[in-house]
Amino acid sequence: MAEMLKVNGLKAWYGESQALHGTSFEVNSGEVVTLLGRNGAGKSTTLRSIMGLVAKRAGSIRYDEKELVGAPSHRIARAGIALCPEERGIFSSLNVRENLLLPPAIRPGGMTVDQIFELFPNLKERLTSQGTKLSGGEQQMLAIGRILRTGARLLMLDEPTEGLAPVIIEQIAATVKTLKTLGFTILLVEQNVTFAAGLADRHYVMELGRVVDEIPGPAFADRIDSLKTYLGV
Amino acid sequence: MITIFGVPSVVLFGQLLLGLINGAFYAMLSLGLAVIFGMMNIVNFAHGALYMMGALGAWILLEYFGIGYWWALVLAPLGVGIFGIVIERTMLRPLYKLDHLYGMLLTFGLSLIIQGVFRDWFGSSGQPYAIPAALSGGTNLGFMFLPTYRAWVIVASLVVCLGTWFVIERTKLGSYLRAATENAPLVQAFGIDVPRMVMLTFGAGVALAALAGVLAAPIYQVNPLMGADVIIVVFAVVVIGGMGSIMGAIVTGFLVGLVEGLTRAFYPQGSSTVVFVMMAIVLLLRPAGLFGSKPEAAGGVHVSLDAPAPAFRTEILLFLGMAALLIIGPAFVYSGFLMKAMLFALFACAFNLIAGYGRLVSFGHAMFLGTAGYVCGHAAKVWGLTPELAILTGTLSATVLGVVTGWLAIRSRGIYFAMVTLALAQMIYFVALQAPFTGGEDGLQNIPRGKLFGLFDLNDHTLLYGFVLVVFLGGFLLIAQVVRSPFGQVLKAIREHEPRAQSLGYSTDHYKLAAFTLSATLAGLAGATKAVVLQLASLTDVHWGMSGEVLLMTFLGGVGTLYGPVAGAFIVIAMQNYLASLGQWVTVIHGAIFVVCVLAFRRGLVGELIAFLGRSRKPATPAKTPQAAPEAG
Repeated sequence: MAEMLKVNGLKAWYGESQALHGTSFEVNSGEVVTLLGRNGAGKSTTLRSIMGLVAKRAGSIRYDEKELVGAPSHRIARAGIALCPEERGIFSSLNVRENLLLPPAIRPGGMTVDQIFELFPNLKERLTSQGTKLSGGEQQMLAIGRILRTGARLLMLDEPTEGLAPVIIEQIAATVKTLKTLGFTILLVEQNVTFAAGLADRHYVMELGRVVDEIPGPAFADRIDSLKTYLGV
Repeated sequence: MITIFGVPSVVLFGQLLLGLINGAFYAMLSLGLAVIFGMMNIVNFAHGALYMMGALGAWILLEYFGIGYWWALVLAPLGVGIFGIVIERTMLRPLYKLDHLYGMLLTFGLSLIIQGVFRDWFGSSGQPYAIPAALSGGTNLGFMFLPTYRAWVIVASLVVCLGTWFVIERTKLGSYLRAATENAPLVQAFGIDVPRMVMLTFGAGVALAALAGVLAAPIYQVNPLMGADVIIVVFAVVVIGGMGSIMGAIVTGFLVGLVEGLTRAFYPQGSSTVVFVMMAIVLLLRPAGLFGSKPEAAGGVHVSLDAPAPAFRTEILLFLGMAALLIIGPAFVYSGFLMKAMLFALFACAFNLIAGYGRLVSFGHAMFLGTAGYVCGHAAKVWGLTPELAILTGTLSATVLGVVTGWLAIRSRGIYFAMVTLALAQMIYFVALQAPFTGGEDGLQNIPRGKLFGLFDLNDHTLLYGFVLVVFLGGFLLIAQVVRSPFGQVLKAIREHEPRAQSLGYSTDHYKLAAFTLSATLAGLAGATKAVVLQLASLTDVHWGMSGEVLLMTFLGGVGTLYGPVAGAFIVIAMQNYLASLGQWVTVIHGAIFVVCVLAFRRGLVGELIAFLGRSRKPATPAKTPQAAPEAG
């Protein structure tokens, strides 16, 4: 499989405190890869750094053979990476339709609005509602849905199941599987290990701003004990 | 002739039309301010100056190039828009991550520069601009005469305002703008070049101001100061309407214009103050404004500029050193200059008490200085009080004014606080301009100095100097003690994190009001003493320019430091005394100092000195640079 994203020795700082201390991993085209780890291990920071949302960063982020570590975030988005942020980032001054259509298409090959409505039928009924008036699950669907239109090939989902009801989590798991079959590459940050286990081809474990272990998907069940030590559950 | 409540209908409709015209300009200007503030979190103080540039630009185009009105409607906004983009690129961009007040300070400095330069070029007298031929004449509507140009202005501004509203609320581009107002980094992460969008938004907002200026040129006299007073009214409009609502800005602009017109018809004396009264009422009933849904969020990223306090012994030595210098000063420097500088230093220290230690940056502190001066002058001259009683009366008047205005103003914070205090001070200015006992444009002259406690004749220059010295050192010591006291510590805690201070059980509003009142009182003490020393109380001391000067002194010297305001006051007064021959360029220099202070040394002279001494003493620790607070990961 072709290598799509290669992160090498990534360091990132919030002000003077260093959050990433040399994170390295890679994601191949068409894969679903998760980053696991405790709170504060640097998972979200890794996604935000790849997206260019952390101002001070060093090391290497290669995507499609292009170095992105110094690029401003709109350039990174135009290279084909899209982020669904942890706090979902639904805009309250935009209605659902405007939220959905906000990210500009960066290359052909994105899903059409109708295809997105097939994935998330709820959205279709609430098009004129204010974005933040949706339920948590609907907001999450909107946050995922709006990055499917743009033609981005690498989707980074930051804790898409956080705070959602089990029935919604199942729906999101089904969505991730569908997206994989459609050829999207997905980098997933998760706290919910069972959710991640059923979806991912590979897992990386992060601790203190570094990747400390890699677990292939099939070996997940065997390695569950060591994973529990990492996660402290 | 038909009369309505005693006012002839022709007069009433005429005033309503004039109100509508003024309202059209308020609407266009506050709309631009709202768009810029939404995107960049900058209150563009230079908006009035750029409006003036539009009007003067049209005049220059006609006068020097023979280019007429219709082309000016395009070219002047375009030129001013490009000028705005240059400003955004070179000066505003580094400020986005800082406290919003820095943007306001920088643009205040810019407006001083622009207005000063244009005054030097064109003088301050108005230039007429002829109504274009196609729009001259008028129509008799039966109940009133409607000049065609005025109808055109109302229609044009409505079209521009509603067009802007449509673009922002109903188009794709508008959805980018609204989204970026909420969460710019995320919008950029979707692939939109937000920095460029911000730049163009600023250019467009500024061009809107210039367009209003061109429209205004044939109605008002074109002169370099035409934007200076308008911008303060527009700030009041913004406070009344509430930031963040485009339609709110438009509706409030026209509404305020109409109310002004009605007031001019029924109670002409109140027409210049009615806007500010409206603002006060709205602040009482709906602090977020008529259309504002959200009160101002915490003022951006807070950068602490607090300098470490020196050891107690050092402080005593510093104080004795300053006292000694001032005692021997008259042997070397003209004592009149020293007295003036000391009184302004006291004024700046009083201002610093709330701006530096309470982080309530008032843009209207002149009202305390000026009011106390008038009351003291009146007490000494008309009531014949001895100087100490006159000064006491003047000072107490500032206290009372401080309680009332503080009670209103502390409902808002950050830039809103700045705008509210500015507007309240402008109201006091108009009162001083019109009230019978202030002498209007002439001011109160020949205020008797009298005998202090009936014993010491203050006409004796040595005694007078000694008296001013005691007042200044006394006020300074009081402020130093307050800053050091538990009260001062609570004040600093509120500045650093108000909700946290509240959660510790402090009624922060009471503390802020107390600090504001104390600051007003000491500013009043400076103003009252100044009236006795200079034997003059004039409009200069209540004008917004004076509020700007005290800001300049404090920020130049070092906000939040004890000696900074003193140093700043001496430098600014020295500049005024010795550079007076430069005329308008003194204003330009003031403005330039503002810009340099905000861009290069936000700690001020004394603050940078303390930071430098702190660094050289502890070379092991890396220099701590102000920067963004860590975000959640």
